Amino acid sequence: MDITLIVDFFPKLISYLHITLLILVAAVAIGLVIGVVIALIRIYKVPGFNQLALIYISFMRGTPILIQLFLIYFGLPTLLALVHIDVSRANPLLFVAITYGLSCGASFAEIIRGAVNGVEKGQTEAAYSIGMNEKQMMVRIILPQALVMAFPNFANSVIGSLKDTSLAFTIGVMDMVGRGNTLIASSLHALEVYITLSIIYYGVVICLEKGFSLSEKKLQRFEGSLAVDTK
Amino acid sequence: MIQLRNIQKSFGNQLVLKGIDLTVNKGEVVSILGPSGSGKTTLLRCINFLERPNEGQVIVDDFKVNSKQANKKEILTLRKKTAMVFQQYNLFKHKTVIENVMEGLIIVQKQPKETARKLAMEVIEKVGLTEKANAYPVQLSGGQQQRVGIARALALNPEVILLDEPTSALDPELVFEVLEVIKRIADEGITMIIVTHEVSFAKDVSDYIVFMDQGEVVEEGIPTVIFNNPKEERTKRFFKRINREEDNLESNLTNAI
Amino acid sequence: MQIDIPFIFTALTEIFKALPLTMIITLVPLMIGFLIGIGITLIRIRKVKGIYRLANFYVSFLRGTPALMHIMLIYLGLPLLIDKMAETFHWSIQSTSIPILLFVLMALSLTAGAYMSEIIRAGILAVDQGQLEAAESIGMTGFQAMRRIVFPQAIAISLPNLCNIFIGFLHTSSIAFIVSQKELTGAANIVASNNLKFLEAYIAAALIYWGLTIISEKVTALLEKRVTVYNRGGVA
Ligand SMILES: Nc1ncnc2c1ncn2[C@@H]1O[C@H](COP(=O)(O)OP(=O)(O)OP(=O)(O)O)[C@@H](O)[C@H]1O
Ligand SMILES: [Mg+2]
Repeated sequence: MDITLIVDFFPKLISYLHITLLILVAAVAIGLVIGVVIALIRIYKVPGFNQLALIYISFMRGTPILIQLFLIYFGLPTLLALVHIDVSRANPLLFVAITYGLSCGASFAEIIRGAVNGVEKGQTEAAYSIGMNEKQMMVRIILPQALVMAFPNFANSVIGSLKDTSLAFTIGVMDMVGRGNTLIASSLHALEVYITLSIIYYGVVICLEKGFSLSEKKLQRFEGSLAVDTK
Repeated sequence: MIQLRNIQKSFGNQLVLKGIDLTVNKGEVVSILGPSGSGKTTLLRCINFLERPNEGQVIVDDFKVNSKQANKKEILTLRKKTAMVFQQYNLFKHKTVIENVMEGLIIVQKQPKETARKLAMEVIEKVGLTEKANAYPVQLSGGQQQRVGIARALALNPEVILLDEPTSALDPELVFEVLEVIKRIADEGITMIIVTHEVSFAKDVSDYIVFMDQGEVVEEGIPTVIFNNPKEERTKRFFKRINREEDNLESNLTNAI
Repeated sequence: MQIDIPFIFTALTEIFKALPLTMIITLVPLMIGFLIGIGITLIRIRKVKGIYRLANFYVSFLRGTPALMHIMLIYLGLPLLIDKMAETFHWSIQSTSIPILLFVLMALSLTAGAYMSEIIRAGILAVDQGQLEAAESIGMTGFQAMRRIVFPQAIAISLPNLCNIFIGFLHTSSIAFIVSQKELTGAANIVASNNLKFLEAYIAAALIYWGLTIISEKVTALLEKRVTVYNRGGVA
């Protein structure tokens, strides 16, 4: 093993960090949209859609991200071919973003739903008692409180997704790990490449954690601490 | 004027309210007393349709709502004419004191922000919390929170304020400050229906007393009559027990000293 | 391209044969990880001097990096170490004679240890302080109180988290296919490329994972019911 190689590999790998982060941002953005929609479907028990949402969440929770990735990568082109859209030459990044977005969507939906259910019933009743309608109650009273409560779980989920991006290379995405594999092929120093990758991932996770915990504090100061329960 | 006509409510096959009739005149304070489980809370919640009665009518002013046909819009109108003070305060946790009070004014009554703020400050002053206007509910004592609850209801200038045991979740030493605020607004001629276990307070503040037991109004009348001269056996028994409890409490206290 | 539905069933039976290996890669790390987790938790709760910081770093680093990294670091790094040691101490083992599976199990055990320690710690902290005091008040030693009173309650509290970590590791075990383990995903991969029916093979694999997940959720729900009856008014 050659420690100095790490210094050499570091800039080469970190210059692909933006691809990894791009996947993450796309996944979180797609996931938020899906998550909110699915959560609302589940909360209001929209007939028909509720069952679909349940199956979707169960499936995403029930299968490894790797399998989901392969399913989308091989399945989406087949599906789209039925409507005569050819994505067989599309950038694999697209498939990765969709897969991770779908996966985030399922977790976010459950997180949001749990938080909404976690808001005390008294809050709803108070809102109704001053004459709010259902929408006002949801938008002004329940959701703001739910989002603050959901934040720590949301943060965990995002960090989980970041770690999951390490598998994107399996369908040929040129992110950090993908670049690492080409480095291995050319340098034959696999261990050093993976050490460098680990250091970078760890650094990013630490930064995300710091950022999230700072914003959590801000959010709770702004929203009033919901954590403390006064009887 | 508030009128309840033949309000019936059941949970499952348990009939909790067995046809309640009640009239509350403008400016009156009516207290509802009765043993635990007699249906007091349920009755109060039927008035603003937090529980939908199975049968009967609620009339506020000239606005009549039939329990069976009532649609969302009617219920909303009814709720805009009433306000409620909860046992557990139920302040909006993510909003400051003044925001709690302004919320209904801005969102429901569509008042301009500045008018709402001015009005809210006036009401907050009335309950003695001017200094806490920008505090969040978690930063307040129970008594202070309940005073905000009262301010939130009062600000809406409703036809009636419904109070469900407003002091029963409070530590004993905080009860007084809340009762005092309620008495003060009662003196201003605000119509109120109060469910309470504080008998002497009810005696003091009410124009009219309703005694309930097992989902029925057993006896009603002006305080002096109900407290000094109850006719019904159940009412007598209830007051006797309460008096005994109070005596016990006092003798315990004297013993302790 | 068309989906060959009958082939999904063929693939299903073929891939299913790899279930034992998946179970090994899931359960062995969880069991070893549980022991590591207890050790780490004790070190962190007692704040044992010297190794306390190390334990913290271990948990933080393993939770802060993808499991793929752990597998690769052990799979690539440990053989170098072993060969070096064999050379200096004149051992007769060679790293190439060690099955890759062993490295995978070691790596994932370390991963599991980090996650387990968090679960166990949360469970122990959630047990009412009064329980420990009550146990000590009837004359139990700290160790007895921990083992007989606090720990069983902590496990009961942690049950949902333990179920989640099982499902998590069931899914994580799929990464082992990257170092050519023939567990469910590896088997699916082989079936897929042998028959050039990729989608069908992965659908079959997905169904198996999905079924396993649902079963474990059901089992947990049953266990939870038991535990909450047993502890009614207590831990639940
Ligand atoms: N949501 C509900 N579901 C089922 N039963 C209910 C519900 N709410 C109240 N009840 C029942 O209705 C009856 C009346 O309850 P209610 O809360 O109105 O009594 P209360 O007079 O307010 O009693 P307390 O003095 O203890 O507050 C009780 O027997 C109660 O168990
Ligand atoms: Mg009540």
